[in-house]
Amino acid sequence: MSIFHSMNTTASALTSQRLRMDVISSNIANVDTTRAKQVNGEWEPYRKKSVTLKEQQGQFSNFLNMAIGKSEKDGVGNGVKVSSIKEDTETPFKLVYDPSHPDANAEGYVQMSNVDVLKEMVDLISASRSYEANITAFNANKNMLTKALEIGKG
Amino acid sequence: MDLFGGTISSLEKGLSYATLKNKAITQNIANVDTPNYKTKEVSFKDVLNDAKQATIPAYRTDARHYDFEINIGSNGVYSNENFRSRANGNAVNMDAEQAKLAENTIYYNALIDRVSSKFSTLNNVVKGGR
Repeated sequence: MSIFHSMNTTASALTSQRLRMDVISSNIANVDTTRAKQVNGEWEPYRKKSVTLKEQQGQFSNFLNMAIGKSEKDGVGNGVKVSSIKEDTETPFKLVYDPSHPDANAEGYVQMSNVDVLKEMVDLISASRSYEANITAFNANKNMLTKALEIGKG
Repeated sequence: MDLFGGTISSLEKGLSYATLKNKAITQNIANVDTPNYKTKEVSFKDVLNDAKQATIPAYRTDARHYDFEINIGSNGVYSNENFRSRANGNAVNMDAEQAKLAENTIYYNALIDRVSSKFSTLNNVVKGGR
């Protein structure tokens, strides 16, 4: 545990929120993608991806020091980490009638990706606000550390 | 002769409390989008006295009231297990965290001010007021 513990915590959150924004951008960019990957020789449209976050537990060194009685766990944790990026297999693909499309089926319907742009925009704003909140926390922490250096300077 | 008195060590305890609290707030803000994350808080009394208890009993006026289930880790960090503010089980209240962050920063700065002023007083004494 160092004095930069809080900064590392914030940094992990900034990285996670940035990744969320990247994934959302990818979802929005691929909203009209009809050939994302091949399944059994057939092209499948793009599936919406979503990021799941989880609390990062203490690292090995913390637990080792705790076990040999060198330090006590402070119980605060180590920030946040991305546990997985999952594809949405629940929501059905959107069907659009367009018989002239190369990927249209026998009835003339084309399968489009299951990305909902409105939902993505809401998620994007949520991620960007969380990012800003972490920036605020980082600045507050930075000010505190700078202030600590002023001890005894008169 | 006790030159430094108890002031500096009291202020030091206050500073370590503020640092730990800052860590908890940072952790809470970092996990604002983590499902089932429970807010972590720091108890001032526990940090100051280094007291270690197993649980904090809730004040219940009726037998049907739920207990709080507040688990105190070491060093007075505890998390509220039963509170949830959103559907994904996350209990972080961003407004409250930001308010606590601002409050904690001011508190920390005030303590640093006191430490600095204590040292400058001592310096004044050492120099004989010159």
